[in-house]
Amino acid sequence: MMTLTATAHMAAWGKWLGDALGTNAAGASAGNALFGIFLSLVVYLFGQWLFKIGKGFFLFQPLFVGMVLGIFILFLFAKAFGTDTATFYKSAYLPGGNIIFWFLNPATIAFAIPLYRRNDVVKKFWLEIVLSLIVGLVISLFVIYYVSKLVGLDNVGIASMMPQAATTAIAMPIAGAIGGNTAVTAMACILNAVIIYALGDWLVKFFHVNSDPIGAGLGLGTAGHTVGSAKALQLGSIQGSMASIAVVVISIVVDIVVPPFASMMGLI
Amino acid sequence: MAANDKATKTETAKEEQASPILIQMGIFAAILFVSSLISPLFPATFPVPTPVIGLVILYILLASHIVKLRNVEKFGDFMISLIAFLFVPSGIQLAASLDILKAQGVQLVVVILIATIVLLVVVAYTTAGFIWLRKNVFHRDVNVEE
Repeated sequence: MMTLTATAHMAAWGKWLGDALGTNAAGASAGNALFGIFLSLVVYLFGQWLFKIGKGFFLFQPLFVGMVLGIFILFLFAKAFGTDTATFYKSAYLPGGNIIFWFLNPATIAFAIPLYRRNDVVKKFWLEIVLSLIVGLVISLFVIYYVSKLVGLDNVGIASMMPQAATTAIAMPIAGAIGGNTAVTAMACILNAVIIYALGDWLVKFFHVNSDPIGAGLGLGTAGHTVGSAKALQLGSIQGSMASIAVVVISIVVDIVVPPFASMMGLI
Repeated sequence: MAANDKATKTETAKEEQASPILIQMGIFAAILFVSSLISPLFPATFPVPTPVIGLVILYILLASHIVKLRNVEKFGDFMISLIAFLFVPSGIQLAASLDILKAQGVQLVVVILIATIVLLVVVAYTTAGFIWLRKNVFHRDVNVEE
């Protein structure tokens, strides 16, 4: 034992840690899920703490802090293990991350509850809701198309930006069908949620969105997906209900509207 | 008679009580399972993912009073309160696409930021427009209870 050098120590520790995290060759596919779950919890709780002591500074929103810090920690670990961040993410973080990610299924279904609680509004305004989402999406698509052109995105980039109003699971295959990059679209959907989560309150105030509670709900649900619905619930029960219906209806509208729009604009 | 009264009272109290949490989770699991069977029936060109079908199913069940609010409320509200945390893995997922960000990152982030604001504002004001039409052109009631 006395002959063990510092480097040997390091190697032993490295092997132990690699085994535990599932990053060593043998364990690459059967990684330890606990690391991903633990890391997600730690970075999110750190974000909550930072948000509290930062007196609610918008960049300290727990989801945003958790995301940035989580990626940074994975980047450092990957450096330490001598792999690239993407590989380390897949072998060490993803098994645990997927377990948490799975719970978005029941969480999304749960938005039927605030929707049903304001069924009176849904029954009364269903036609306005559907028309607003269709017309609003078409107008937004034109704006997003020309903004993308303006900043110099190529056709693949533009096609990836088109379906982002839909929930990720719908947006990705649509992006693929119109010649976009599905990973970029997934990134757009995630950033939509993060942006609404971080800037939502400020945007609602700045653009006087809440002057019409039905519009505020539909807008938040469209722009921020399920996170937007959670934000809308904080504004009121009508907003929450409208955001929940927007998440479903806008996804179906994207399904129908975006492919013909893309071919009209010459993307496919 | 008195005993009978008491029995009905406890029964109504039970009626209003929330279902046990395992039952609530069971309802969610059953809906998810049925949704996952329906989802693949849609063609690849018209994808409708499992949770979206599940949301519609739970809404229909609630609206037709087959499932009562007290059967699902507690677990559902709990899941909604967790939503920001549940998105952490999605956010960290960007670690796998850092190379895309390196190539066109700034442009993409700018477009996504603008797109998010555009979607929020345009949809909100379009809705306000349609509500205005309903009130001033079609002269229909636009009042809602807070």
